[in-house]
Amino acid sequence: MKELELCDSLVERARKMGADDAEVFYIKSRQLGAVFEKNDLQVPKGDDYDGLGIRVLLYGKGGAKQGFAATNMLSPDSLEETLLAAIAIANASPDDPNHWMPEPSTIEPVPGRYDESAETMSLEDAVEQGLALVNSARAFDPRVTLDSAQYMVDITEKAIVNSKGIRLVEKDSVFTCLAMGFARDEKEVSSFDLEVAVTCRKDEIDPTAIGRKLAEKVVASLGATTVPSFKGDVIITPYAGYDLIAEPISFSCNAQNVQNGRSKWAGMLGTEVMSPVISVTDDPKLPKAAGSTSFDREGVPPAPLQLVSEGTLNHYLYNCYTAKTDGVASNGRAAGSDHTVPGISTTNFVVASGKHSLDEMIAGCSKGLLVSRFSGNVDPVSGDFSGLVKGGHYIEAGKIVCPVKEVMISGNIYDLLRQVVDVSREYVDVGGSRMPYIQIEGCSITGK
Amino acid sequence: MLDLLKSVISGCNDYAEIRYHKRIQDIIEARNGALTKVEHRTLAGAGIRVLADGGWGFVSTNDVTESGLKKALSEAQAAARAGAAVRKDKAQLAAVEPAQGELVYYDATEEPDIAEKIRALLEAEKRLRERSPLIVGSITRYTQYEDEKYIVTSDGSAVHVLDNKPSFHVFATAGRDGQLETAIKSAGVTGSWADLMRKGDLNTLVDEAVDLAVKKLDAEYAKGGQYIVILDPGLVGVLSHEAIGHTVEADFVMSGSVANGKIGKEVASELVTMVDDGTVAGAAGMVLVDDEGVAGKRTVIIDHGILRDYLHSRESAAAFGMEPKGNARAFTYRDEPIIRMTNTFILPGEDNLDEMIAGIDDGFFLKELGQGGQADATAEFMFGVAEAYRIVDGKVGEMVKGITISGQAFDVLESVDAVSSDFEMAMGAGHCGKFQAAKVDAGGPYLRCRVTVGGRHE
Repeated sequence: MKELELCDSLVERARKMGADDAEVFYIKSRQLGAVFEKNDLQVPKGDDYDGLGIRVLLYGKGGAKQGFAATNMLSPDSLEETLLAAIAIANASPDDPNHWMPEPSTIEPVPGRYDESAETMSLEDAVEQGLALVNSARAFDPRVTLDSAQYMVDITEKAIVNSKGIRLVEKDSVFTCLAMGFARDEKEVSSFDLEVAVTCRKDEIDPTAIGRKLAEKVVASLGATTVPSFKGDVIITPYAGYDLIAEPISFSCNAQNVQNGRSKWAGMLGTEVMSPVISVTDDPKLPKAAGSTSFDREGVPPAPLQLVSEGTLNHYLYNCYTAKTDGVASNGRAAGSDHTVPGISTTNFVVASGKHSLDEMIAGCSKGLLVSRFSGNVDPVSGDFSGLVKGGHYIEAGKIVCPVKEVMISGNIYDLLRQVVDVSREYVDVGGSRMPYIQIEGCSITGK
Repeated sequence: MLDLLKSVISGCNDYAEIRYHKRIQDIIEARNGALTKVEHRTLAGAGIRVLADGGWGFVSTNDVTESGLKKALSEAQAAARAGAAVRKDKAQLAAVEPAQGELVYYDATEEPDIAEKIRALLEAEKRLRERSPLIVGSITRYTQYEDEKYIVTSDGSAVHVLDNKPSFHVFATAGRDGQLETAIKSAGVTGSWADLMRKGDLNTLVDEAVDLAVKKLDAEYAKGGQYIVILDPGLVGVLSHEAIGHTVEADFVMSGSVANGKIGKEVASELVTMVDDGTVAGAAGMVLVDDEGVAGKRTVIIDHGILRDYLHSRESAAAFGMEPKGNARAFTYRDEPIIRMTNTFILPGEDNLDEMIAGIDDGFFLKELGQGGQADATAEFMFGVAEAYRIVDGKVGEMVKGITISGQAFDVLESVDAVSSDFEMAMGAGHCGKFQAAKVDAGGPYLRCRVTVGGRHE
């Protein structure tokens, strides 16, 4: 392939310029989409891109000096300037014993990551799909306003070559449908809510269903009333769980944060960090999922990792640098673009489903709150959070009583993870996360 | 490049704007004794926007050959026509005086090389760790955007803009007996490395961050309530940008922000005049010509307490019958221009800071934005405060920590009873986020006003 040949030639050129090891990570993408605001089309958008990042290592007595430079100007002169910049940065950097580049491993492709129908899509098609979303929300109830809605298609080819023999390419397509909105009934305005779908297959995404789902949610939150403060159960929906639960867990499993002393779970592998009803897997092999990949930003194949099994922390997420720092093997979680040095990220973050349905969880709740969306701050280092509940519903004696407004929740998410009593059978894919409904007992809910 | 862009859009029957933008970005970060990141990035390409029959189309590409640009223009035209068929509220553009010429505000040949900058960041990080035995976490970070743009519109703008926006961030974490306190100091400008050092000398930022983090270990929490306070230029900038500024961006006004329908009405104390001004030399939000090819001008948002104007793109200015003043900005060539602030600030008054403090019986002296904060379209806000002192009987007393301020920003400005003659732009290191990032700046004088102070024991 042309891309691999370009990467090969740059690795070879870097070695001739004095690099002991070199890596080239290349991205080519085509993106198109339609952006709607206030129920009306704002702009159809298209983007064609190709660019690459060059990483070089110069070995010395105390380890390796690293240099990195990136460009999307792919003329010979610009590529030569980029190589020189990477070498200059390496020469100016101190030796670090933990820089290295990996050897090739066996790679198994993830099925269903590329949908050929993406190739034939046009901006006009994206407008049509976005319009279907807006129209379905408005058809459900004309009181609904979509403040912002998008339909986007992204086709990406990535290639990586390093001087250790890694030589890999992968192509994927990602379809994203996003809607944010509210309902207005005369002077009353409901909470803002959102609905998102991200998948690799066009036929797995249904803009009409997404528009209708959002409309159902915001209309159901009309007529909200205040409630007094109380202590009870909180049932976190998948969307609220993404911010409140998935992000802090991902943060604290990230080896960079562990090694920098920012993770609450440093030194806690093998210990119980949350309620035994929770298990979490980071799964790069999930078919058709946008976070799936056969190799990471450094060319290392990631395998599914059960980060937390029945409340016990099993793994941190490593790239090559942090793995060497801890004296372990990389588990293939290097992340980043052609314009960044390898960082660390989850792939598809999956909280395991439980046995009970959401209806059964509500039926078993004597007093509590269903939290549709959380608007506030979560400090992933300390776990402290506070913010407003949006689209909340008050539960009493096993039934949803009414939508609520002006309700705040606050506390420490790492403490609350120990108070989880149930996890639902249903789940929702929210971007790169698969989240069930999560029930936490003993929460302080501040009302009016 | 200007000739190439002009030739590409010549003969285009629709309104078209074509913007070539080359950005060179350097990031250097040292943390806890190691050089954790150095990245040198070049991102270049063209963003082409077309308005046809009242509908927009936007296409971006890094193929900046004549054929690549013509293909992108043709796709943008097709998208605009497809969009126009769907769009209900047809877009129109306010007429403007076309911007022309060379606006070069940076000379890269006088810049130190990357090796010298890496050394400076490593030395500063070492200085941070060595300044106090209580330091347990240390970060020094440098970010630089060198931006070169060529902007051509079909109604006559043709400009070449070159500037550079560098910034420093310093994070110091002090620890003792399991207690951790972090202090952040930063500086940002439009200019060179030397200009940045003049605005915020790196070693001085390090010393201030360490001393503040260590001092906070001994600070007590304060009791919350309604207080008369002094806000420093940093917090005045945050209030101006986050809590007021977003509510007067015309796209948010059209969405129903609290500023909707308030033009000509009293919204603040007559002591308050607030502006947005992309022409402030050296401020990090300096935008001499925006990404629609409109020259930057001062917008007087609040004039002696009266709301006078919103911030506009050409499209929103046409809808409101106002003049656009250079607030349509795109972060990279891959982003379309949207309404953004530039440098947003309150003008200095005539009061003396010491006398302002002497007039407070029981209050606080509050400095700079701390961690956490939010504001919304109603101008309701909550901000963390980085550094706070009690004021008792007209004198600044002991440091307190864990302070937040909240309220409705226009109510806070109504309560202003003194405005100092000092002035500082103080928010140049960060970014504003609104669908895409933007470099902005904000600041002002010291203000005496009433806010709700959140403490530990409310």
